[in-house]
Amino acid sequence: MSPKVVLVVEDSPLILMNALDMVEAAGFAGVGAGNADEAIAILDARTDIRLVFTDVEMPGTFDGVKLAHYIRNRWPPIHLIVVSGRVIEGESLLPTGSRFFSKPYDNDTLVKEMTRMLAIIDAAGSGQEV
Amino acid sequence: MVAAPDLRPETHALSLMLAVIAASGAPLLLLDGALKVIAASASFCRDFQIEPAGVPGRRLSALGHGEWNVPQLTSLLEGTASGATEVHAYEFDLKRDGQAPRLLVMNAHKLDYDDKERVRVLLAIADVTAARASDKLKDNLLREKAILLQEVQHRVANSLQIIASILMQSARKVQSEETRGHLRDAHSRLMSIAEVQRHLAASRLGDVELRPYLVQLCKSLSASMIHDAKVLSIEVVVDDSVTQADISVSLGLIVTELVINALKHAFPGHRAGKIVVEYGSHGANWTLSVRDNGIGMQPASADRKPGLGTNIVEALAKRLDAEVQVTGADPGTAVSIVHAQPAVAAVGRSV
Repeated sequence: MSPKVVLVVEDSPLILMNALDMVEAAGFAGVGAGNADEAIAILDARTDIRLVFTDVEMPGTFDGVKLAHYIRNRWPPIHLIVVSGRVIEGESLLPTGSRFFSKPYDNDTLVKEMTRMLAIIDAAGSGQEV
Repeated sequence: MVAAPDLRPETHALSLMLAVIAASGAPLLLLDGALKVIAASASFCRDFQIEPAGVPGRRLSALGHGEWNVPQLTSLLEGTASGATEVHAYEFDLKRDGQAPRLLVMNAHKLDYDDKERVRVLLAIADVTAARASDKLKDNLLREKAILLQEVQHRVANSLQIIASILMQSARKVQSEETRGHLRDAHSRLMSIAEVQRHLAASRLGDVELRPYLVQLCKSLSASMIHDAKVLSIEVVVDDSVTQADISVSLGLIVTELVINALKHAFPGHRAGKIVVEYGSHGANWTLSVRDNGIGMQPASADRKPGLGTNIVEALAKRLDAEVQVTGADPGTAVSIVHAQPAVAAVGRSV
């Protein structure tokens, strides 16, 4: 069984590198994007992404909140985790079922949440794994 | 004073009234029932560059170069003269060739006085151009300030994220268990400072309620340092104290150090236990304590130097004018930071 794929969207290269590292250390496969447009291009091109982990403040047409809604509309099964350095954000602005964390986030907490979300996919869609 | 020649003052009262209008600091006009100007204040002529001599007896709409000839204003004033309406805070752009438009606020009242035959309307004009521009500027500045504040928070959070990321990455890669421990501690300190910063940003300026603040801080410490919440837990017992933001920062950092210290030393070998963070104040006096039910203090050996955490706590306590007291809690250890205001000495001593 191939590892589950997590797409990380983050405009700061250092944070992106570490986030991919964290995702891979947790046993998932990581794919990186520097902004929402890149993320959408990746999601268009491949069908194996299970979870998108995105920052809010990014250059480009969409910020992370808009990206989360766009993904929920176009690819409803994909799980969403949104992080931001701003204090006034919250899950109320995000699609139902997505999770919000403040930056700096704690790696362990995030990995726990990713694992939990991806386990739900397994439980709900068992047998889809090819 | 500018008065219409055909309305020679018949009485002292009329003469006084015209003098009052002429002297008004705010632009003021006295009109008759046909909206002809009976008297204009000097300020009106000055502010709107109208030759005073030509004003009395002329219709308002004929003043200047016709800039006062605005159908809506005329009909409002006619309504006022007939008693049908009043002009209340009517805003109007005065447009003159070669000059920036002025935003005026007009108020007009039909005067109620003895002579019912002769209609008199008093028109007061306020030029609010500058006030409105300054309001707009203030609004813009406030909005800009909010955006800047958000931007700063965003940048601080991102910088802390970069440092946290590097610390975690290094902790994973480094070979030495001891070094890994130090890197993890540094990460925990950073996360708790971030928590402090987040709390302060949310509480804006001024005072900080200590209970939610310390509860949140300890939650963040648990998340980053305690792997099994069933084995080790942190309890927070705080009264309703409120304190200044800068003091709350120091208290938060002290709690961070003492909790890290207890987690590191009090519970070796997966020993279960509990840490209690307590704060209470009475007037200006307060006590912050962190106690654990762990293995208790080790006899200090002569060559053992105090750790970084101890130095940080000492320095922060000093800044708060407080004393550090370490006691055995049986079982475990209790560290208290006590701020006691010196008793008011020598009553009646003259200064």
